[in-house]
Amino acid sequence: MLTLSGVSAGYGGVDVISGISFSLMPGESLTVIGPNGCGKTTLLKAIAGILPHGGAMELGGRPMRGMRHREVAKKIAMLSQISGTYFSYSVYETVMMGRYLHTGGGLLGLPSKADKACVLGCIETVGLADEADRPITTLSGGQLQRVFLARTLAQDPEIILLDEPTNHLDLKYQIEILDHLRRWSSVGGRAVVGVLHDLSLALRLGDSALVMKGGRILAHGATGEVLTGALLEETYGVDVAGHMRESLHIWDSIT
Amino acid sequence: MKTKVIVAASAALAALMLGVAIGSVGIAPGDVLRIIGHKVFGMGLAEGIKPTTVTILWNLRLPRALLAFIAGGALSVSGAVMQSVLRNPLASSYTIGVSSGASFGACLVILYGVTIPLIGSLTLPLVGFAFGLGTIVLAISFASRLDRNMENNTIILVGMVFSLFVNAVTTLMSALSKEHMQRLIYWQMGSFSMKDWQAVYTLAPILAVGAAFVLYFNRELDMMTFGEEQAKTMGVDLKRVKWTLLIAAAAITGSAIAFVGIIGFVDLVAPHIVRKVFGSSHRVVIPVSVLVGGAFMVVCDLVARTVASPSELPVGAVTALVGAPFFAYVYFSRRARRC
Repeated sequence: MLTLSGVSAGYGGVDVISGISFSLMPGESLTVIGPNGCGKTTLLKAIAGILPHGGAMELGGRPMRGMRHREVAKKIAMLSQISGTYFSYSVYETVMMGRYLHTGGGLLGLPSKADKACVLGCIETVGLADEADRPITTLSGGQLQRVFLARTLAQDPEIILLDEPTNHLDLKYQIEILDHLRRWSSVGGRAVVGVLHDLSLALRLGDSALVMKGGRILAHGATGEVLTGALLEETYGVDVAGHMRESLHIWDSIT
Repeated sequence: MKTKVIVAASAALAALMLGVAIGSVGIAPGDVLRIIGHKVFGMGLAEGIKPTTVTILWNLRLPRALLAFIAGGALSVSGAVMQSVLRNPLASSYTIGVSSGASFGACLVILYGVTIPLIGSLTLPLVGFAFGLGTIVLAISFASRLDRNMENNTIILVGMVFSLFVNAVTTLMSALSKEHMQRLIYWQMGSFSMKDWQAVYTLAPILAVGAAFVLYFNRELDMMTFGEEQAKTMGVDLKRVKWTLLIAAAAITGSAIAFVGIIGFVDLVAPHIVRKVFGSSHRVVIPVSVLVGGAFMVVCDLVARTVASPSELPVGAVTALVGAPFFAYVYFSRRARRC
């Protein structure tokens, strides 16, 4: 459903990623991992059409270059980290914005019954059914991130890009949301691409993994096959596997 | 929400009534309605209403109050759009060069006594409008060349550079021509005095069409407040919408200041108050900003012409003097309540 061939992208004419080639299949849940500055977020922004890209990118068999922004947004949604301050919209109003491309813009772009039901369903999915009328400026960071997730789901895309979506969330919601997205991607020809710093969460999300370093792909394939101790050590410059075993040992001693 | 909107509309009507009723000659609200009924619907005029009262109301006070309302509404809508598009609570058309461009145009007309054939006395407002809009178009074009994504910071910085530069040129020109300085300063301070129905007839449709036009983009405006990247990923054609809305807001402001001069603060304070009371949805913010900004301007003009009567204060000074403490009260009292 999405194919990248020799894709490059960056800021101010300087490429941060280059030579990126991979395909995303329907039903796939891909986790992108790598150290800070390796280009994970840049890759997501290029796929979402926020950054211009070099090389070739095809969405549903059509070249993305020249594709209208609305067409891309109908198929690809992105959930980013929370940043900055927000105006005081209610939870319901915020999630309804995800229906923009479905209800159309403008003065008469009023939501249909189906839109309203979809929005309420998405709000319920993220556990905020009782907060639908609450202004988002009064929510905690975790609640706000769940509102944005509901808005992303309301967009009803084929691909959801996640850029550190579990920041601000407590463990319960981290697990619930990632599991929900995994289930979401497993039906109806959908897919998820997630950037997660926490390796245990990354493993929970992705049945396939893309490992990046220095703006390039180090490895790509099924998570269980690709993520070896040697590769992770090469990627992060520390003995990741040993560190995780040590953590498990501490955990065992606690329990 | 409906109740709040009805209260805002009633407050706007009450402000207009005060604006026409109070002055050196007081006119009772009932007489105001009778005179309007007489003039608009041809109803008979009650005995005891003097012809001079009719003249004062119909030829002086009503056009003045309506013009103040329209100008306040226009500036307020424009401010709401600018703040949302540029995602900056201090942004306004003035920030990115409308007032400095309009001042420069007015300066040229006043210093050189230019009069364009056919439009005669409308030369000053039209040239002010054209230069205000021209400055903002130049600033945005320049910003889009520097940064093809047209990020907000680039637009604000380029706008401010243009604004400061044009202001400097205007200051130099007026300093070199001291005999015209007073008229120029007077224009720059804004005023509703000596305005007739012509200005009302010209500005009213501009405000109606302008407000309806930006209201058409209410959902895009909502999404743009979440930042450029989020708006893009939700499907907003950001560059096109941003260009369109910035130019529309600048045109609305430019039209208003062309007729009444530069009046600050309304465009900043009214949208903030509206968002605090009515929420942030632009489907509500845009029309209610017209009511609140309009009512605010009418009250400020009333203060400007009555507090030091028979002299008149510059209305721009009153908008700031009345608005700043009111703004602080609304903002901080609601914040304290939330805590």
